[in-house]
Amino acid sequence: MTRAIPLEAVLVVAAALFCIGLFGALSRRNLIGVLMGIELMLNSANINLVAFWRYLEPRFITGPTFAIFVITVAAAEAAVGLAMIIAIYRSWNTVNADSVDSLKG
Amino acid sequence: MDLLIQIIFGLLSALVIGAAMMVVTVRNVIHAALWLIASFFGVAALYLLLEAEFIAVVQVLVYVGAISILILFAIMLTRSNEGDRLLTKYWWASALIALGLFGVAFLPTFTGTTWNMPQPTGPAGTPEVLSGVEELGRGFVSEFVLHFEIAGVLLTVALIGAIVIAFEERSRRRRVLTLAEELELRKRRQAAESVD
Amino acid sequence: MYDVINHLINTVFGLGWPSWAISLIAYLLVATILFLVAPFQMLFLTYFERRAIAQMQDRIGPNRVGPQGLFQPVADGVKMFTKEDIVPDAADKWVHLIGPCVVVAPTMFMFAVLPWGPGMVPLDMNIGLLFFFAISSVSAVGLMASGWASNNKFALLGAMRAVAQMVSYEIPAVLSLLAIVLVTGSLSIVDLIHQQAGLFISSADVPGIPDLGLGWFVFTPVGFLAFIAFFIAALAEGERTPFDIPEADSEIVAGYMTEYSGMKFGLFYLAQYVLNFLLCAITAIIFFGGWQGPGVGWLYAQAITPTNPDGNGLFNVLAGMLGVFYFLAKTYFFFFVMVWVRGAYARLRIDQLMDFGWKFLIPLTLVNVISAAIWVGLTKWGAAEGLAFVEGWAPLMRWGVAFVITLLLNIAAYIFLARVYSQAQDERARLDNEVLERLTNVA
Repeated sequence: MTRAIPLEAVLVVAAALFCIGLFGALSRRNLIGVLMGIELMLNSANINLVAFWRYLEPRFITGPTFAIFVITVAAAEAAVGLAMIIAIYRSWNTVNADSVDSLKG
Repeated sequence: MDLLIQIIFGLLSALVIGAAMMVVTVRNVIHAALWLIASFFGVAALYLLLEAEFIAVVQVLVYVGAISILILFAIMLTRSNEGDRLLTKYWWASALIALGLFGVAFLPTFTGTTWNMPQPTGPAGTPEVLSGVEELGRGFVSEFVLHFEIAGVLLTVALIGAIVIAFEERSRRRRVLTLAEELELRKRRQAAESVD
Repeated sequence: MYDVINHLINTVFGLGWPSWAISLIAYLLVATILFLVAPFQMLFLTYFERRAIAQMQDRIGPNRVGPQGLFQPVADGVKMFTKEDIVPDAADKWVHLIGPCVVVAPTMFMFAVLPWGPGMVPLDMNIGLLFFFAISSVSAVGLMASGWASNNKFALLGAMRAVAQMVSYEIPAVLSLLAIVLVTGSLSIVDLIHQQAGLFISSADVPGIPDLGLGWFVFTPVGFLAFIAFFIAALAEGERTPFDIPEADSEIVAGYMTEYSGMKFGLFYLAQYVLNFLLCAITAIIFFGGWQGPGVGWLYAQAITPTNPDGNGLFNVLAGMLGVFYFLAKTYFFFFVMVWVRGAYARLRIDQLMDFGWKFLIPLTLVNVISAAIWVGLTKWGAAEGLAFVEGWAPLMRWGVAFVITLLLNIAAYIFLARVYSQAQDERARLDNEVLERLTNVA
């Protein structure tokens, strides 16, 4: 693996994934779509962490440990985020990000 | 062997990126969630290629087995009435931001790297020492014990928070009576009438 | 398998292929064999279940096609193949097609880490157990997709029920496995089996025990409680009665399978029976020693293994046959227990199922994890870990003390939780009654 593929190739894939996720998080109207974009971004960060671990410091466990913490945070974020989406849906009857605008001046 | 790995890597990257593109562009939210799962799988396979087996399995367990199920459930519990527009009004601005960010990350890498240079990883022939799941477990109870406990607290907080936020009081719930309850109700009404 | 192919290609034919090509061929061959084994298991298990349940219900069961009806499943398969494949007009065509595939694929993946006999494992991953359960959770996605794509209320309801059930019962299953992993200190399924040598006491705990291949984990209090919890969770994951709510025919037609016909329906059936086989197999492996049994250890010691390269190849075959025999006997016994439970119990209601999983099984397995920690501390630790007082005891004594303490802890936990749980059920019934009264204004 390390001989066949340069580290930069993995990083480019992760960067592309991050940018796609960013685009999704910024531009989708559906709140769940936004959450999916955020999940993609977290995934790309994880790819970076694991890749750096594998190529640079394979003896130390810091990379996988961080990746696991990121996965933990992602799970917590998904649970709370989806609970909030469901609560929003109950009171507004919509899941579109731009319809929830009662704070507008 | 190198060629095989390169082909596999190319296919996996195409899967991950393509599925991610579908996630943000496809109209139907359920389809988007299914593409998201495909992307998660691709990332898990990439981890396997990077020889991080444990992370790959955790990825499948948490992302595919739990988070995507949560997302699917949330989609089915909420009715999406997006109408005719899939994206926000200023989607082109976010597209520009994302593309610009990718350009900033990609161009220096592309021009500044001598591609296909093998990374020197110790003397040839000696197998690399990879830290495996056992070292990971030891790390969690020695070096990273505080972080580990914080993660545990975070998960507990998220669990309780999610329940509190999404909880609907029992009395407020619209309740449809079951057949048995209907019968019970009728019986009680009759009993009440006979008392009167 | 790698060695055999390598010998055949590079030594016999002298082709000098690179090692990755040989690995690829070897793995493809193993995968093909396993893909053939899975449908045959399903064919046999359907026949077995129908005959057994018929005996319990005082019927005869299928006995027309072939001797004793043995070819009935084949006839069913032919019927399934030739049926028209109907896709509802309102269905989402692609997701409707992908659903059953995603349900079947993980069950096939799970064969990758399943050891059949001594030295007979397709892939000895060092995280095999975790892999097994991670992959099994994927089929929930397929269920959800197929239920949604059918565009049918019953299908969607069935899928929601199935997924809620699978996700909830994964937790007690994994927690009960965690106790075993704690005891063995390994996530590899092969390691797990090797540690179950011995005679009622695992030879990993007490080194001098004679090896009859009977040091199963089910003989320890930790293992026994884990086994009970795991088997209940396995019944729920495999959607067997009393947890067959997702496809309760009398309530919601056939759940997520309602809109499927022909071979797609067959795929669901295949997935279900293969999953049941795998769950029984993994129960047999984790708690009942898999291929361990009297004689296998001795035979395998004479065979050609990486640690014993100049053994006798005949013993490989013998040990393999005996091991596979033990393994399959245990597996089919557990499948028989599943059928037995189906014959004996009625279906639970969905809220009862959820209550039981979350409020009883999960706390119980959590206590079991603590028991497992005590077990490890008393049998394996010493002064280095801060338990200097156990250092002086004989291994048998340490094992006995651990046995008594964990047994008492588990029994106490069971009694306590059972009392709390039944009180909670009563309370819930009272609350339900109150809500009903308020809703109807009838006291």
